[in-house]
Amino acid sequence: MNLSPQDEMLERVKAEIRADAELARVRDPLPRHDPPPRAAQAQRPSFDEGIERDRLDYTIAELSGAHYRAFIDQAFRALLKRPPDDAGAELQTRLLAAGAAKAEVLGNLRWSPEGKRVGTRVRGLLPRYALAKLVRVPVLGYFLDWGLALAGLPLLLQHQRAADTSNAARFGAAADAQQRSERAIEAAQAAHAALGAEHDRRSDAIRADIGRMLLRLDDLERHAALLEGRTGGLETRTDASAREAIELRHQVNAANHWVASIQASLSELEDLARAERERADALLASIEPDPEESAARSARYADWSAQLAQRLEIAAPVFDLGSADGAWLSALAAHGIHANGAEDNAAWVARAQARGIAITLENPMTALSRLADAQLGGLTLSPAIWAVGTTALASLLAEARRTLKPGGWLLARDLDAAQAAGIPASANTLSARSALLVAAGFLPPTLLPGSGGQALIAQRPAV
Amino acid sequence: MLVPGLAPHDAVSNDTLGMTATLREDGHEVAVFALNARGVDEPILAPATIEQWLRGPDDIVIYHCCDGWDFPLALFRRTRARRVVRYHNITPPQFFAEWSQGYVDACARGRNQLDAYAALDCELYLGDSPYNIEDFTSRGVDPARCAVLPPFHQVEQLCGLQADARRVPSGAPLLLMVGRLAPNKGHLALIDALAALKQRQPQARLLSVGKLDPNLFQYGEAIHARLHERGVEAETLLLQDANGAELRAAYERADALVMLSEHEGFCVPLIEAMALGTPVIAYASSAIPWTLGDAGLLFEASDPHLIAAAAARVHADATLRESLRERGRARYAAMFSPAVLERDLRSVMQRFAA
Repeated sequence: MNLSPQDEMLERVKAEIRADAELARVRDPLPRHDPPPRAAQAQRPSFDEGIERDRLDYTIAELSGAHYRAFIDQAFRALLKRPPDDAGAELQTRLLAAGAAKAEVLGNLRWSPEGKRVGTRVRGLLPRYALAKLVRVPVLGYFLDWGLALAGLPLLLQHQRAADTSNAARFGAAADAQQRSERAIEAAQAAHAALGAEHDRRSDAIRADIGRMLLRLDDLERHAALLEGRTGGLETRTDASAREAIELRHQVNAANHWVASIQASLSELEDLARAERERADALLASIEPDPEESAARSARYADWSAQLAQRLEIAAPVFDLGSADGAWLSALAAHGIHANGAEDNAAWVARAQARGIAITLENPMTALSRLADAQLGGLTLSPAIWAVGTTALASLLAEARRTLKPGGWLLARDLDAAQAAGIPASANTLSARSALLVAAGFLPPTLLPGSGGQALIAQRPAV
Repeated sequence: MLVPGLAPHDAVSNDTLGMTATLREDGHEVAVFALNARGVDEPILAPATIEQWLRGPDDIVIYHCCDGWDFPLALFRRTRARRVVRYHNITPPQFFAEWSQGYVDACARGRNQLDAYAALDCELYLGDSPYNIEDFTSRGVDPARCAVLPPFHQVEQLCGLQADARRVPSGAPLLLMVGRLAPNKGHLALIDALAALKQRQPQARLLSVGKLDPNLFQYGEAIHARLHERGVEAETLLLQDANGAELRAAYERADALVMLSEHEGFCVPLIEAMALGTPVIAYASSAIPWTLGDAGLLFEASDPHLIAAAAARVHADATLRESLRERGRARYAAMFSPAVLERDLRSVMQRFAA
């Protein structure tokens, strides 16, 4: 397989790393420390640990290798098959400290009553134990001790030299360990000092933070007090507003009741007015006309209708405002004029409609508003129209001009009847009416005399 | 999308949300169903309602498989929708044998379900890595129904964070391990490697970023015992509550990410290190060789002296460091960048277009 230079470099590096690792594995085995305290506790020997209950044969060398308390512990476990009790261990330890031979300690245990019951055999122990005991015999023991010492002097010197070498090595190791410990302690002290400094720094920072927080807290408390004062004022105003609102609500309710009462009264008044109007209309319609007057009216209506018919185009539509009992519409129809009327007296309308006259029940003052521009060839007005105010009359005449075709005709009949109805003289004069018509855009009107009355006829200009 | 749970800084959650966003960009209607969720900006629906959405073969259910959940298996057995097993791998139970019977049972249940999923002949088995797909091909699944798609991740967001190094130790060298404290992650071997490295370079330090599940407290005690045994307690920091800014700083300051994990279905920390230019030293187990490729120092053993020698070399050799950085960035851009993952997902989903 061909590798790129980069890959080759990487493979070479990995090979070098592997070789380096092999060297390190031999040179620096991984460190192993004692298990952590929790693990050490878990591995502590139990009561029976280290006791070989079935073994009853030892050598002195096996039992004398350890020193001091470890020696005592091992001797108890081997010879008595139990851990040492405090008193027994203390006694034997004192013997060792007083210079007794290990063989004497072993013998003490082996030939104690308990040791005899166990019966452990320690090869070569009996003569040594006996010798150790003889040395304790007064006088004889002294000389025996000296003799033994002299005999063992060469071996003792050899052991002494070995011990010196061993001790020197151990002292050296201990010194090294002490130096390491001192360095570790110094490092720990330095770390402790650094931590202390860091602790002080952080404590200072925390104290500063606390100081700032306390200041901030004071600010907040001041703001809270200020807000509390403002809140008190607001609460007072809110209470006053609430009381005012309650009072206002009572007033509004009272006004509502009052308005409702007025509305009821107005409804009653309207009902009364309507009834009164109906009675008046009925009364008016029930009045039988004077026969002479009726004949005269028919004569002048026939005359005026004939004159109007001469002016109108053929089949031109005509509308009459205030048709009363429909006599005028009948006269127009007699001369071939197609006319409709508007009347607000229901009794008259009913009577006229019963006779087949085209008349509708509506207010003559507003009837023109539903007609289109230039729809009519002619428009006729009853004397009652002139009884309205000047402003309303001007509006009506403007509507009349709008609804008439150019060249169309407006006829105002029975002007004398209007005067007899009590209409003010200033508005009832022919000149005043002529002026109103001209002001509304009509050509100057012409007077049409008739039997028992007068009429005015005016034309909307053709252009 | 059907997933056991969603949480921040979780690899499976990041993959779920990344796939969801990409599929939505392509005009698909995607809903996420999970047993529980916290800290994610996504409406979550209850798994019990998923069948209201699965009307027929025009719909697809993607199950993110990472443990032994019975509901998806029952759903896959009865639904008419097309089924995708998005497999993130399940740690073999033997790793937890000494530490947690609960983990052993859960992992064993999950791995036992793999046989059932393989027998269902689902429309697609989508693994994070070829190593994951082997779990299905070894169970007789047709390789034509298998595909590899590395998981969507949050590496770009990590790169965009402002590093916060206040809790990150200095070391010469500093070794970094990112991953939860779990028996398969190789922390004990890493501690041994640190001890070996300390004999060469006393200023060496180890930073481990990852949490310990309280159910694995015995494993945590074993880690502390090993630290004590090797005499490297003072040289090691186990950071269990690191945030993104601190993780970013750890990658920046570390001489190497040392990954001695014995089982990984993909190993997202590797691509984080690649993207951020941190050299990688790794043990060639499970999916790690595929993910790392030639972008790191990969060894067939997690021998402490070998790893220590590699770390010492990376620390001392600037040319090697730069080479590893370049390789890492190039591999990330070529295989694991978001644009590549979106392209690969669209390519995989093309098989459903017809």
